Amino acid sequence: MFRILRDLLRSNREFLAGAVMVSAVLLLVALSFVSPYDLMATYTVPPDLPPSGEFWFGTTSRGQDVFWQITAALRNTLAFGVVVAGASRVIALVVGLVSGYAGGRIDQAIMALNDTLASLPNIPILLLVYFVMRDEMNWWLLALAASLLGWTYDSRLIRSVALTLKTREFTRHATFSGMRMPQILLREHLPYVMPIVFYTTMNNLIWAIGLEVTLSVLGFTDINRPSVGGMIYWANASSAMVAGVWWWIAFPMLCVAILFLGLFLLAMSVNEYIDPRSRLRRLRTQ
Amino acid sequence: MRMHRGLMLALALVCTAQVAAAQDFIAGIPRSEALIIQGAPSQNADWFNVWAAGGGANTNGLQQLSTDTLWFINPEGGPNAWQNALATDKPAYDADFTTMTVKLRPGIYWSDGVELTGDDLVYTVQTQIDHPGMGWSAPFALNVASMEQPDKYTVVFHLKAPNSRFHTLFTVRWNAAWIMPKHVFEKVGDPLKFDNNPPVSLGPYVLNSYDKSGNWAIWKLRDDWQRTSLGMDLGEPAVKYVVYRVAGSPDARVIDQRNHNLDVINDLAPEGMFALMRDPKSTSTAWRKTFPFAHPDPTLPAVLFNTMAKPFDNPDVRWALALAIDIRAVAMGSYRGAADVSALAYPPTGAASDDYFRPLQAWLSEFELDTGKRKIKPYDPTIATQLANMVRPSWGNQIPADPAQLQTMFGFGWWKHDPQAAAELLEKAGFTKRGNSWLKPDGTPFAFKLMVEGDAIPTLARAGIEIAQEWSQMGIAVKVEVAGTTLRQRLNVGDFDMAIFWTIETWGGHPDLSFFLDSYDSRFIVPLGQNQPPRNLQRWRDPELDRIIHANQSVSFDNPQVVELGRDFLKLAVREMPMIPLMAYNKFAPFDTTYWTGYPSVEDPYSASGPYWSNIRYMIARLKPNPTAPKS
Amino acid sequence: MSGFLVYVARRFVQFVLVAFTGVTLAFLIVHLSPVNPVDQTVSLMTTFGATDPASVAMLRSALSELYGVNGSLAHQYIAFWSRVATGDFGPSLSAFPTPVLTVILRAIPWTIGLLTLSTLFAWTFGNVLGALAGYYRDSRLLKLAGIVVTAVQPMPTYICGLTLIILFGYTWPIFPISGGTQMNLSPGLTWSFVGSVVTHGALPALTLVLVSLGAWFNSMRSLVSNVVTEDHVVYAELAGVPSRTIFASYVARNAMLPQITGLALSLGHVFSGAVIVEFLFAYPGMGQLLIAGINAGDYSLVLGVTTISIIAVGFATFLIDIAYPLIDPRVKLG
Repeated sequence: MFRILRDLLRSNREFLAGAVMVSAVLLLVALSFVSPYDLMATYTVPPDLPPSGEFWFGTTSRGQDVFWQITAALRNTLAFGVVVAGASRVIALVVGLVSGYAGGRIDQAIMALNDTLASLPNIPILLLVYFVMRDEMNWWLLALAASLLGWTYDSRLIRSVALTLKTREFTRHATFSGMRMPQILLREHLPYVMPIVFYTTMNNLIWAIGLEVTLSVLGFTDINRPSVGGMIYWANASSAMVAGVWWWIAFPMLCVAILFLGLFLLAMSVNEYIDPRSRLRRLRTQ
Repeated sequence: MRMHRGLMLALALVCTAQVAAAQDFIAGIPRSEALIIQGAPSQNADWFNVWAAGGGANTNGLQQLSTDTLWFINPEGGPNAWQNALATDKPAYDADFTTMTVKLRPGIYWSDGVELTGDDLVYTVQTQIDHPGMGWSAPFALNVASMEQPDKYTVVFHLKAPNSRFHTLFTVRWNAAWIMPKHVFEKVGDPLKFDNNPPVSLGPYVLNSYDKSGNWAIWKLRDDWQRTSLGMDLGEPAVKYVVYRVAGSPDARVIDQRNHNLDVINDLAPEGMFALMRDPKSTSTAWRKTFPFAHPDPTLPAVLFNTMAKPFDNPDVRWALALAIDIRAVAMGSYRGAADVSALAYPPTGAASDDYFRPLQAWLSEFELDTGKRKIKPYDPTIATQLANMVRPSWGNQIPADPAQLQTMFGFGWWKHDPQAAAELLEKAGFTKRGNSWLKPDGTPFAFKLMVEGDAIPTLARAGIEIAQEWSQMGIAVKVEVAGTTLRQRLNVGDFDMAIFWTIETWGGHPDLSFFLDSYDSRFIVPLGQNQPPRNLQRWRDPELDRIIHANQSVSFDNPQVVELGRDFLKLAVREMPMIPLMAYNKFAPFDTTYWTGYPSVEDPYSASGPYWSNIRYMIARLKPNPTAPKS
Repeated sequence: MSGFLVYVARRFVQFVLVAFTGVTLAFLIVHLSPVNPVDQTVSLMTTFGATDPASVAMLRSALSELYGVNGSLAHQYIAFWSRVATGDFGPSLSAFPTPVLTVILRAIPWTIGLLTLSTLFAWTFGNVLGALAGYYRDSRLLKLAGIVVTAVQPMPTYICGLTLIILFGYTWPIFPISGGTQMNLSPGLTWSFVGSVVTHGALPALTLVLVSLGAWFNSMRSLVSNVVTEDHVVYAELAGVPSRTIFASYVARNAMLPQITGLALSLGHVFSGAVIVEFLFAYPGMGQLLIAGINAGDYSLVLGVTTISIIAVGFATFLIDIAYPLIDPRVKLG
């Protein structure tokens, strides 16, 4: 796998760009652990200062340093996204592989359930969850609920790959040699499915982070915990746009845009790499 | 090709937009004759029955423009605060307050041409007694034994028990018991189910049109406006149309006012207000034209203690928490310094400065507290100057230097931030400190939740966060809990440790405390878990408090002794500290002067100006058109 | 023809399944509530003033059945379904005593109008642009368009909308920034009313279009670049068929098909975008109702909007599904 990564970094410009962007964001996240301020506190610095040498991204109307707030915000938002993406990956893998391998009626039943869940609108359901659980709500619960809704699209993709794998030679060999289904799925099929999983993880991460930003902006999560959506929520509550404190909104947005763009480029380039035709076409044009 | 089609569509859209933008802002109504006020979205727009619950157009002009009742009090105070509306004179009680006589003004007509008589007043009271569940059923049923009508315009109320404040039911402070049109309701089977659409007006405006989705309501001046109490007193209003409309997010409101599409805004965040007022091209004005710009509502945000829950039943603990607050940081954090602090359990608005704040300054400065180790004088009368110095760098010469002026802007004083004394008081109460955390006398950590509402009352939420931070820094584990819509219900049943909420609501224009104080009588206190009737959400019980309440009820509304009793109450509240008063509820409400001028201000406080207050009618009737307004 | 009917029947069963699952999910969620919404709502009402006992009883019984506090779980489930099937969610708390269904029915046309217009426009425009970019791979203009569209894609809907408000509401005020139509206009098929609806819907629709354009563009572009390498296209190129014909008839038509399925699958996602946009622009649709209901603690309204939106999205998917075989003759209708 490392060889593939090295090849991609060397030959594929988009992958390189994406990797650079995501690394920059991860660096910011790492910085959040060495922040000089208590990031849950307010009025630690003079408010409403534009970006300067001392405060690189300026300060908010609540007296917080925008730069350090962003590091913590990205950390929390990314953590949420990773948890959701991870949990839904596991579900999507299990469902997709089992369904593709089992085939027939079981496959049809599982896919029917899959499509049903896929058609449901996410936000109203998540809002209902928030509304009902309000006092007991914390971000773990929300992450769990989101991951239960986010696996449907990707399990279909995984299933289609599993379907092709089932008829391949090595699968039949494995069956004849006495391997049981879980073993086959894990040892033989999983490596084939990984590139697709990577691609879907990127997309799912974008979706989960977008979800978190949406809910936070509406004020439906714990607004005291720094998060990207939370920063925008507080900025709106202080009329930042009209008051001219543009840096409070612009910089979190810029960071999220860079993160999204980076993830998106990574996903696109890996997707291109997986498909041998497009990989060949790229080699041809170079 | 399809792309060209897309471009054509876009072009068509832009053309339509230009055409639409050139139209009137409101179809069929000249902008220069309309006053546009920010309203609240209402899902129940077809419901105009203000006597039966339904929300409906209550806050969209119904109670502000089309209803009327006997008396109004201007919450801003002043010598003309008392206003006789439908009544010709003040209420006339007999010596032992068991009878009240009201004389109605002759010549007042409903908008459908029927004259107002005592029949309507009697009908209003009797119907609500007969149909429990209407807005004023309970107080009428409790108070009124019988009524008689000696002549067409006079009604005599015979009360079940002496009540010197019976007339306050018909005295408007935000709202009051409105008079029902007998000739309309007597034809209806059940007044609770009648939607009263379209409503018959007693006030000077009638319903013109409204949005079924509840986004706007338009009211039109009656042709016979001179047959209303407002018209008789103030002449013909210049505002022909009043439009209540929903205006979206606070940012959208600012943009709308800048585009001159919104004249009266209810509330903005402090930052939005500052941006609007700082702009030299702005045509907006406000209660104050310079910092702090805000209008103080006669309601007091305070930190409420649940005095029935340990350890908040101990006044030393309550005082300790009060002294641990740095009110200057709270003022900066919640209002960006535009706060009017109050150490007394009374909102510092209207006539309060003269009636209560100035006279009590000496007593407050001398007030002594025993911390267990020493005696301290916790009051600091220079808070106003300190706050002014903190905001002067940003606002320069808008902040005067005269301490007396600063007191009216920033408050008369507050308790010194004294963590040392707070620690001593906690120790006196049996608390111990281990490391940086305080432990209760039983050894468990001193931790609790501070409940705030959240989005609907954002400045108080900010104050709560600031206060919780200060307490946490002192070693008390406080967590802010955003209760949202469940706040009121949880306050009612006592399901809270502490909360930030309004607990003292006053007339504003009259020193009598009965508006809120009557509900503090100890006989209304119920155990935790049951619904406590507002406003004594702290469930504060004190024999001295009962004495003051009963003494107040036994003297008439205008008796000067009322102020003396008020001062007794305030001194008691200081000693016992059942709540920590914070500051006036400042509202940032800008008015656009492009089309209309003559709004109330601190120099000319002739009327309330809050869109949802029924008293706003006195402002609307006095506005004058701006001669330089664009003709449209 | 009978094959088509069988296909429709199959898809209808799928729709019923979706609705059933969604509503059951909503039922399960509300039963997770640690709070008893009935008592909470009733005490919320009495806090604000006395109310008509008959209406209170009506609200109480509606909430009890919707949130199920009486009887066994199975019994509650049936009661829940009987209410949903008749659309009777009881009276709304924030609009007492108007029934929830009345409130929702007022808002539905706005949401449907906004979503239909913006989705169709984004889908059409995005696909056309993406197809062109995929076929004419060397065009600088199209590459630039691609970058712009992709850059806007990750922008959260809220910020996009807020920027448009500042741009078109303040800097260059040609569009209204809130409301559904101009005030005091009576609804009807008059030129002024329709024009007003269009101008008020322009900014919300533009926001939705901008955030969804990128996805359609990119997927269409990669689809087209795959189709281009297929045999029938190569043969047509070699045979000298004009490239415009190849583009329209050979390439785009075929690449379009997965996009239609994609459209059906994306409807749930689009509705989510509408919630934010309606909130931001105070547009009187279902999204704004949902958020207002949550903030007001209006249980029946929130539940009503959620269930109805689930059913509506499922139905829209069903409509698109049955349109599919009319476009793609390869679909087996057996």
